[in-house]
Amino acid sequence: MKRFLYIFSILTAGAGFTACEDVIDLDVPEGKTYTVVDAWITNAPGKQDIRITQTVPYTSTQPAPVVDNAVVILSDLTDGTTYNFTFADGVYSYDPGADNSIGKLNHAYRLRVQLGEEIFEATDTIRNVPAIDSITYEYKKEEDAESGEEGYYARFHGRDLPGQTDYYWIRSYRNSLARKEADVFAINAAFNEGITDSAVFITPISEGITKYDKPFQLNETVIVRIASCTKASHTFLTHVESQLNNGGLFASILQNVKSNLVNTNTASQARVLGWFGTSGVKYNEKVIR
Amino acid sequence: MKLTRPFKSTACTLLLLCLGMLSIQRATAQQQRYTISGYVRDEQSGESLIGISIGKTGTTLGTVTNEYGFYSLTLPAGKHELQYTYIGYAPMKFTIDLTSNIRKDIRLAQADRQLNEVVITGKHQEKNINTLNTSLNKLDIAEIKKLPTLMGEVDVLRTIQTLPGVNTVGEGAAGFNVRGGNQDENLILLDEAPLYNSTHMLGFFSVFNPDAVKNINLIKGGFPAEYGGRTASVLDIRMKDGNDQRLGLTGGIGNIFSRLAIEGPIKKDQSSFIIAGRRSYMDILMKPFLSGDMADTKLYFYDVTAKANFKLNKNNTIFVSGYLGRDVFGFGNEANMNWGNTTGTVRWNHIFNSRLFLNLSTYYTKYDYSLEFKSDETDQVQQNFSWVSNIINYGVKPAFTYYVNAKNTLHFGLQSTYYTFKPGKSIATEDGRSDAIILRDKHALESAAYIDHEWKPTSRFGIQYGARLSGFQFLGKSTAFYYADTTPGIRKRLTGTEDFASGKVIADYYFLEPRVSARYGLNSTSSVKLSYARSAQYMHQLSTTASPTPIDIWTPVSNNVKPQVTDQVTAGYFYNAPGDQFEVSAEVFYKTMKDQLDFIDNANMYLNEQLEADLVSAKGRAYGLEIYAKRDIGKTTGWLSYTLSRSERQTPGISKNEWFLNRYDRTHNVNLVVSHEFTKRTSLGANWVFASGTPATFADARMEYQDWDIPYNTTDKRNNYRLAPFHRLDLSFTWKGKQLKRWKGEWVFSLYNVYARRNAYTVYFQQNKDDPTKTEAVRLSIIGSIIPGITYNFKF
Repeated sequence: MKRFLYIFSILTAGAGFTACEDVIDLDVPEGKTYTVVDAWITNAPGKQDIRITQTVPYTSTQPAPVVDNAVVILSDLTDGTTYNFTFADGVYSYDPGADNSIGKLNHAYRLRVQLGEEIFEATDTIRNVPAIDSITYEYKKEEDAESGEEGYYARFHGRDLPGQTDYYWIRSYRNSLARKEADVFAINAAFNEGITDSAVFITPISEGITKYDKPFQLNETVIVRIASCTKASHTFLTHVESQLNNGGLFASILQNVKSNLVNTNTASQARVLGWFGTSGVKYNEKVIR
Repeated sequence: MKLTRPFKSTACTLLLLCLGMLSIQRATAQQQRYTISGYVRDEQSGESLIGISIGKTGTTLGTVTNEYGFYSLTLPAGKHELQYTYIGYAPMKFTIDLTSNIRKDIRLAQADRQLNEVVITGKHQEKNINTLNTSLNKLDIAEIKKLPTLMGEVDVLRTIQTLPGVNTVGEGAAGFNVRGGNQDENLILLDEAPLYNSTHMLGFFSVFNPDAVKNINLIKGGFPAEYGGRTASVLDIRMKDGNDQRLGLTGGIGNIFSRLAIEGPIKKDQSSFIIAGRRSYMDILMKPFLSGDMADTKLYFYDVTAKANFKLNKNNTIFVSGYLGRDVFGFGNEANMNWGNTTGTVRWNHIFNSRLFLNLSTYYTKYDYSLEFKSDETDQVQQNFSWVSNIINYGVKPAFTYYVNAKNTLHFGLQSTYYTFKPGKSIATEDGRSDAIILRDKHALESAAYIDHEWKPTSRFGIQYGARLSGFQFLGKSTAFYYADTTPGIRKRLTGTEDFASGKVIADYYFLEPRVSARYGLNSTSSVKLSYARSAQYMHQLSTTASPTPIDIWTPVSNNVKPQVTDQVTAGYFYNAPGDQFEVSAEVFYKTMKDQLDFIDNANMYLNEQLEADLVSAKGRAYGLEIYAKRDIGKTTGWLSYTLSRSERQTPGISKNEWFLNRYDRTHNVNLVVSHEFTKRTSLGANWVFASGTPATFADARMEYQDWDIPYNTTDKRNNYRLAPFHRLDLSFTWKGKQLKRWKGEWVFSLYNVYARRNAYTVYFQQNKDDPTKTEAVRLSIIGSIIPGITYNFKF
């Protein structure tokens, strides 16, 4: 929806006016440093990673410094199993073996991160996830595409699960999981609660796996992952999205994303940023030929 | 319509007070006095003229015509020399022997040239130094037409943004901000019907067709008691009545849109009409350059403004007017959006007697939008997703003016508006199967009774004081939601709901809003004024973005949301140079705003039944100094305005609970508007604006998360920086063709943003599109270069 308004404002500006965007230098004093917990556990088989880093000045080109002295424990609250994550190669990980998954559908999990004296905890639940039935693509010439970029515009096809309100995070990749492409967030098959149930994902969502101005090219592989989320995680993710794509006439105020990691010592002022989320995930891919 | 008891009793008290005052005035008016009254109209077009001064020469006794061109002046029996004056018109002077009440309708002739050579004597009742109001700016359309324009189009809202105390968050932003108030705190009236969206194309052009507009009043403080419902300003726009003498065409052809208006008598001297329309044709011009996905791009707006009036007899006139405007945007069949206002007003002017005037207005106004997405025709699964929302009002307002005598005037009346809000209905269809989310309608009744007394006991001192009793009832049929108080800044938890039957009161609020405005003349060229006004606002537009979008809905106060109450004090000094060479004013204001609406972080306002859980109530304050110098006679005319001001708020749970600047705060704001007439046929207009940059929240850190670089503001303070200052120069050159007897044409060449400055609209933070490992701050300029415009205007 906002995307359409965005395109409209670009068209309006481009057609008669002369909107332009320039990268500028901002003289902003260096901010405080916070620890960031990047923890997203899925039901995919194999090793699961959790990354703990520190914030850096916004325009710093340095990678965020890794925090290596935390104690990270994941508990499956449904079956009582505990997983101790160990630090190696910049991440905290646990490997149940290539064919086994830590994450199980409908199980609740608690993450516990100890940093020095402070202990932070958060919980989340893995919910069921539908399959991505197929991926299709369409070739557009420069003059045919909204963005004026020639290439293959891919979309995925799938259907929301019946029953309760479902929340999804759909992420696409180019060629490998190392190269993230686009993110789309859905509630059931659309953008709002209570409208649809068990419908196919509406066009703005299914087409959202291709970046507006970065179509795929011949022989590239489109990889799509669909991840189920809880409502809380979905709220966090859409908040992140609004902070990342915040241009245009309808820019919103920069509002810090919240964290669900709570200090167990309520008297302590110490806090961490980041989020602990869990998902059921399914993948599909297609090579453009 | 049911009114509750406290409301009724206070209304009765006010009415009694009013009647009481009338009887006192009658008692003191025993010596022989008679009244001269009537309408003042333009000689050629028959248009009623607003704000014409009528004065007894050599004295300060006088009055001005009201919004319908009516005046009433009561004087002792005997001979009086009266003078009718107005800028741009040849003054009229005659002696009258008052031996009884006289009805005298006047037709004034436009002055051939600017009134440079005509020396006006006597007092101008309508001049700023003489009126009782503070913070009032009057513009007529002729003045507005002299300003340089964006793409050659005369624009009401762009003009008022050059006045002191008025600004916007940036170029292309919808709406405007007055004295530190939010955009939704302006009451915008088009022929007395409120408008909810004042701009086309997301903010670039205003919805008012200049060919159909007669007069504009902007009131920024010291509101007379008849106005209410919004707290920052009243923008009162009056449409032309239509020429009752002969048929005429006016129009313009420009590079963005064209206008055409037709007006003329239905029956000469008795009834007339005007119909004015505009359509933009950007989509048609773009068409040859678009193909594929973009081939069927729709991008245009249109509006139609129409009015007719019928002078039934000497004492009765009926006006019917309406507006219909729409913005349309879409791609083929796949995505379509449109939005716009519709209004209708029927008014009855009735003269009971030479001193009692009634205007009874009834109006209908609607704002709605609709969005639709469809799947491509070739798709296997056919889908359709639609979303509509609207707000509809029905209103009635009888307004009486009682011209007691030359020194006393009473204004009193009642107002009532019934609102229906349809916050959202969304339907999704797939292969013929539909699901829908329909947010419950909301209903409300807003009512008010008001009275004020204009009293000018001496030539030096005058006061207008009064009160407005307003009430708002949030009504069934609807469902009330109840929330628990939680930590500020966090979504409130739902604790229960309750269904209310049709007409049942869910929540109600009443406020007594005192209004007072006083003037003291220091000498014949200067005066000081003071005013105080309290005003209550019962509905808000929910917008979390820098500038409201067309899909931001309006919502009434309820059991969860309290009305906003604003108190404003203004003091001003006014100077009018001898011979009306120029006028200068300086005003200071201070205002406090209680229960201003704010939002928790990441609030969800769309299709959300429980959106009130995301609303918080804030405290606001604004203060400033406004200086205004204006010259409206001579070859060089124009104005200079300067505003020094501050606007801030305090919201629990936001910005560490500290006061922070509003997005629309601008410390300095300078506007210079000049127009110079070289010859009868050529003139130049210039407009220069300078304003401090708007506050913005900048990220000072980033966090790496799931392959994103998320901007983060570790100070936790909102609007902690300012964008670079905004400034811009516009020029226009008007060349009038040979002015034939009937056909009059002119070319207007304009340059907008002459020195091509890239003013920042926002600064946002992103990962570089080509190299995501790089993060950068990006400045968005809505208008980044010089924009030429050319328009041909004609009159036939």
